[in-house]
Amino acid sequence: MASEPEKVVSPVEAPVAERPPEKAAPPPSTTQPTDYFAVADVVLRLLVFASALVSVVVMSTSKETEMLPNPRLAKFTQSPALIYFVAALSVAGFFSLITTLGSLYSLIKPGCCAKIISHFIIIDVLLLGIVASATGAAGSVTYVGLKGNTYVGWRKVCTLYGKFCRYLGASIGVSLFASVMLVLLVLLSVYSLSKKIPK
Amino acid sequence: METESYTNGGVAKEIGVANTQTIRWNDFVLRFLAFVVTLVAAIVLGVGKQNELVPVQLVPTLPPINVPASAKWSHMSAFVYFVIVNAIACAYAVISLVISLANRGKAKGLSITIILMDLIMMALLYSSVGASAAVGLIGYKGNTHVRWNKVCDVFGKFCRQAVAAIAISLVGSILFLLLVLFAMLNLHKNRCH
Repeated sequence: MASEPEKVVSPVEAPVAERPPEKAAPPPSTTQPTDYFAVADVVLRLLVFASALVSVVVMSTSKETEMLPNPRLAKFTQSPALIYFVAALSVAGFFSLITTLGSLYSLIKPGCCAKIISHFIIIDVLLLGIVASATGAAGSVTYVGLKGNTYVGWRKVCTLYGKFCRYLGASIGVSLFASVMLVLLVLLSVYSLSKKIPK
Repeated sequence: METESYTNGGVAKEIGVANTQTIRWNDFVLRFLAFVVTLVAAIVLGVGKQNELVPVQLVPTLPPINVPASAKWSHMSAFVYFVIVNAIACAYAVISLVISLANRGKAKGLSITIILMDLIMMALLYSSVGASAAVGLIGYKGNTHVRWNKVCDVFGKFCRQAVAAIAISLVGSILFLLLVLFAMLNLHKNRCH
């Protein structure tokens, strides 16, 4: 439809002087408009990976020795819930690294593997379940260690092992941040799917 | 779009019947199942109670005194969190069932909000399952490093009820996960036509 006025104008040649510069002005655009969804996607995935890494490192290095009559050591390996936390967050960090690299690759070369990228949302939803359950498990054990429980006779531990409990609390807080980021990631994907923007 | 025309007393009328989204049956069934399952999980742990006489040795020379002790869900903060989250998920399943039946894909913002709330409920349910399972494991095996004694040898019936409630709630959280996945699949299918 746009070529018809061209065919009409060029035989007449009346305003031909204006036409070529106007035609030559927009070159074939190599730069596409920034896809904010893809950039936000990469940033969120990177945040998830970073916070999972930080959680695992902080929890693994949380060690404290107290000089009671016998020197007693507090480590994360003494509680199955904390071992599950470290394992689950390592898995989450590994998968989020893979998806980050995939999204970054898709950002650099747009439109290369849209089908695979659209399957990343399943990984995100599963990771959210795993990270949420690990956070809940470690959080409940740390809470019992903090407050104790008189009904079952479990004494509070954090008055004695203050540094250990602080490390645990920090690690759980960071993993809570990771799960919030995962929720935002899934929300972003859902929003971009519903707007019918090809990712 | 289907159109049908019929004559009514000589006047031809045309009725256009729009083929909009009908009720997504898997969504409806999943929400109803999730409502039932989370309700059962909350009730099973909520009514669990066990009274026992625990022998306590005050002084080594005297015989042990029997002290009455009870196990309830309200004694442990993780179980309180479990019951509350399951009750919230149950109420949400009913409300979202009603809303999604009334909506049926018309308002897109409402559909996205429902997906988001499904996701949050799924995360909360998974965290409550993890918390109760962690505390239950300590109660079952004890922890010698911090000298937390096992309690399930005394309160066996309550421990079995807690395990059952946790297993049922795990099924409920998997149902919420399937809800989110099916909603994604539906969006994907509607997008690429």
